[in-house]
Amino acid sequence: MKLQHHLGGLEGLGPVNFETRVFVEPWEQRIFGIHVAMMGMSLHLSDSVAKYPIEKLPTAFKSTWTWADLRKGAEAMNPFDYFKYRYYEKWLGGISGFFVSQGYISQKELDARTAAILEGEKPSASPLMNDEIDRQIIEYLRVGDQGGREGERKPKYAAGDSLTVKDVASVDHTRLPGHLRGKAGVVEKLYPGLYVYFCSTGPDGLGDPMPVYQMRFDPKEIWGDLAEPNSTVYADLYETYLEGEPTRC
Amino acid sequence: MSQQFAYPEDRETYNAAKVRALESLLIEKGIITSETVDKVLNYFEKEMGPFNGAKLVAKAWADPAFKARLLADAPAAIAEMNFPRGMTGAEGENMEVAENTPSVHNLVVCTLCSCYPWPILGLPPYWYKDPTFRARAIREPRAVLAEFGLTFDESVKIRVWDSSAQIRWFVLPERPAGTDGMSESELAALVTPESMMGSAKAKDPA
Repeated sequence: MKLQHHLGGLEGLGPVNFETRVFVEPWEQRIFGIHVAMMGMSLHLSDSVAKYPIEKLPTAFKSTWTWADLRKGAEAMNPFDYFKYRYYEKWLGGISGFFVSQGYISQKELDARTAAILEGEKPSASPLMNDEIDRQIIEYLRVGDQGGREGERKPKYAAGDSLTVKDVASVDHTRLPGHLRGKAGVVEKLYPGLYVYFCSTGPDGLGDPMPVYQMRFDPKEIWGDLAEPNSTVYADLYETYLEGEPTRC
Repeated sequence: MSQQFAYPEDRETYNAAKVRALESLLIEKGIITSETVDKVLNYFEKEMGPFNGAKLVAKAWADPAFKARLLADAPAAIAEMNFPRGMTGAEGENMEVAENTPSVHNLVVCTLCSCYPWPILGLPPYWYKDPTFRARAIREPRAVLAEFGLTFDESVKIRVWDSSAQIRWFVLPERPAGTDGMSESELAALVTPESMMGSAKAKDPA
């Protein structure tokens, strides 16, 4: 069990820091930009709905990099470190670790260059200009990566059905919030079409196109006597996470 | 968590040097260009940000028929706006809107990560990404909202929306009192990112 999959309802955390800035240090913008670039050049985009011509892109980046990869990294962290490091610090660790593990750069050269910069040297990279690369990344932002699909698969459930959330075996990644496992809820709405996920999550069950449901939960079902009055919890859940008897004839 | 933004000085200096080192190596290896990161940041500054959401909310306040269309099919209503191309692009491919009323208040959270409707709201602020907010908002939304300065009578229903699949949520805040006759651009100035996530109300007119 990963704490990162079970954050909902964790007690004893103290007040929320109502920091409204997106970036609290200028360097955070750079790692955000690098992550967007990786997503916009990800190999999987050639098979996406938008069919971006990724193979032809004149970049040395030849990997798949999606939200699932970034999330997997964060979910793989020691849970104490997960709380200790700020949001973009986790990104910096995960993304630089990815480039090293995939052999794009070595840990040695990253450390050496970091040390040189700390000693006041300017990075000596000769400029690289290429509109094709930059255009593709902005085009990815404009057009996106639609997870919705048309398909033959018929939804098992419909609005009004009372269902139970399964307790699936989640390994390195899941989209099932831990606090909902085993809980009863009602289908508020079936979203049109089917939804894929960026990767297979193995026994957790995501990947192939499947229906997604807007589920409604009574907080008392989830939190018992700790629930606040007159409130409702909603979550968007993939069909593989749900079980129960459809009430339709 | 109160020390979350207070670190020894060398931690930030090291992070800043490391990301500069990484970016320069990626340019050297032909992975990104010298302009890639700046172009991405410029795009978020100029085209994909909370200023889009503010215009959308202002139009919904001013035009009840538009509001009905926005609540029924957000991407289709967004396509009616005079926005730059791509405002249902990355992280906005599937969007839903929850409407605040005098009897219902909505709060959006992503308990598993930080899902956020980029084209309409830009990038998520730190409070939204904070594991403390994500852990607490789902179990005690009234307590969290009270910390943010919003208290609600028990008769007001609190709805919490957890963005756990590929649908991105935002809130249509209530139109503040005393705004009759204001233009859409004057109204848009009252709409903050927080008001479109449910952690604040729209600003009162000056």
